[in-house]
Amino acid sequence: MVWGTIIAAYLFLAGLSAGAFLTSSFVSRKYPNAVTVRFTGRIISPILMGIGLLLLIVDAEAGLKNPLRFIYLFTNFNSVMTIGTYFISFFMMAAAYVALMEILKKKVNKIVEYIGIVFAVATAMYTGFLIGVITTVPLWNTAILPILFVVSALSTGIAGTMLVSSFFSKKEVHQVLSIKKIHLSLLAVEVFLIFTMFLITSTSNEAAAESVASLVSGEFMLLFWIGLMAIGLLLPILLESLELWNARKMGHSEAGLQVAAAGSHGIAGTLVTESSVLVGGFILRFLLLSAAVPIAFL
Amino acid sequence: MARFGMMIDTRKCVGCYACRVSCQMQNELPVEVSYIKFYEKETGIFPNVKNEIIPVQCQHCEDAPCESVCPTKATYTTEDGIVLVDAEKCIGCKYCMVACPYQARTQDHLTGVVEKCRFCADLVAEGKQPACVTTCISNARVFGDLDDPNSDVSKAIIKHNAHPLRPDLGKSKIYYVR
Repeated sequence: MVWGTIIAAYLFLAGLSAGAFLTSSFVSRKYPNAVTVRFTGRIISPILMGIGLLLLIVDAEAGLKNPLRFIYLFTNFNSVMTIGTYFISFFMMAAAYVALMEILKKKVNKIVEYIGIVFAVATAMYTGFLIGVITTVPLWNTAILPILFVVSALSTGIAGTMLVSSFFSKKEVHQVLSIKKIHLSLLAVEVFLIFTMFLITSTSNEAAAESVASLVSGEFMLLFWIGLMAIGLLLPILLESLELWNARKMGHSEAGLQVAAAGSHGIAGTLVTESSVLVGGFILRFLLLSAAVPIAFL
Repeated sequence: MARFGMMIDTRKCVGCYACRVSCQMQNELPVEVSYIKFYEKETGIFPNVKNEIIPVQCQHCEDAPCESVCPTKATYTTEDGIVLVDAEKCIGCKYCMVACPYQARTQDHLTGVVEKCRFCADLVAEGKQPACVTTCISNARVFGDLDDPNSDVSKAIIKHNAHPLRPDLGKSKIYYVR
């Protein structure tokens, strides 16, 4: 495995950062009163991206020793990595600006925010294209991968934002119901995408079949079924569904409405749901990098 | 302009690793790093079986996948068709190692730069042959200009009906007799 845990962590953080930015932009429009959620998303986004970039720099040993060489990253337009470098640069500038305005309590320039939204989506997609264009590894070389990465980026972005927000405002976390609905559908779509990807890719050739087999019934079986499927996807799907169902029930009774208005119910559910989504998001990238079997050339 | 390539006759290869050692000497590599890897492959059904020893190094592909993914343009192809790495530009991101269909690249952990077989470009520029070719005890390797129909390598490829390892993975310039 050429690319290991560090790159998996970078792919995860880049997606998470882009997702958090998009979440906060959505919340700022849909729930103008949910200030904490918006603030959190906008602040964690550039910080997480920054950590991801630091990991990248550490992993690129030759660049780490000669930092000026990173300038060359902007030169080869045939390389997805160069394109990604541009995307991340624009996204990072926009995200840092928005975070700064949030801290200074100033009005965010709409145009810069829209640029941020565009490049957040681009950054999330690029992480999929980066490994998706590698024809040598059939597990990655599929059109569904960038879509899976975007869905996972949005889902982890929501999770990260909600998790951090829950420490500061219990009430708001319960208030942003449509975020929870979107989150639930994203998780369900992710399960479907993984199922589709594995089913179709495993039939494409031997190396792909080997990759998929190592995940579902081989070396990475435990991490895949328990780490990704059970903890990362099914558990949050279950908890999020219960919470939404509960919220609906509460809306129907006088007592429930009072509890909801007081914002006194716990955040244990949120904590477990969002942490498990984050764990799953990292495991997804780690597994896809680890289970990469190149085509046999002999 | 030449288009340098090689033919390796695996029927003649005895797996003595002399090419690997001379390559390490030529490129001043540490013992554990090498640009030539040896693979063994069994083919056929008993009792008609064959065991091949296949030395694999950078195949110097045309439109090389490592070159197109390299974000810093550190990997480039010379006018003579030799794929090289500019050690001054490489950041060690390892994207090329991921993209290489032959896993022919290795990272120098002292400098972090990713390196690989250079077809001994310096020797070739002086009109000499690559180290692995001159050292081969059974003359299993032939090197020369693929564009010149009268070169030793072109003639040998035709004579032995040699083929690239995997023509479907790109146009490589090392031909194998198997």
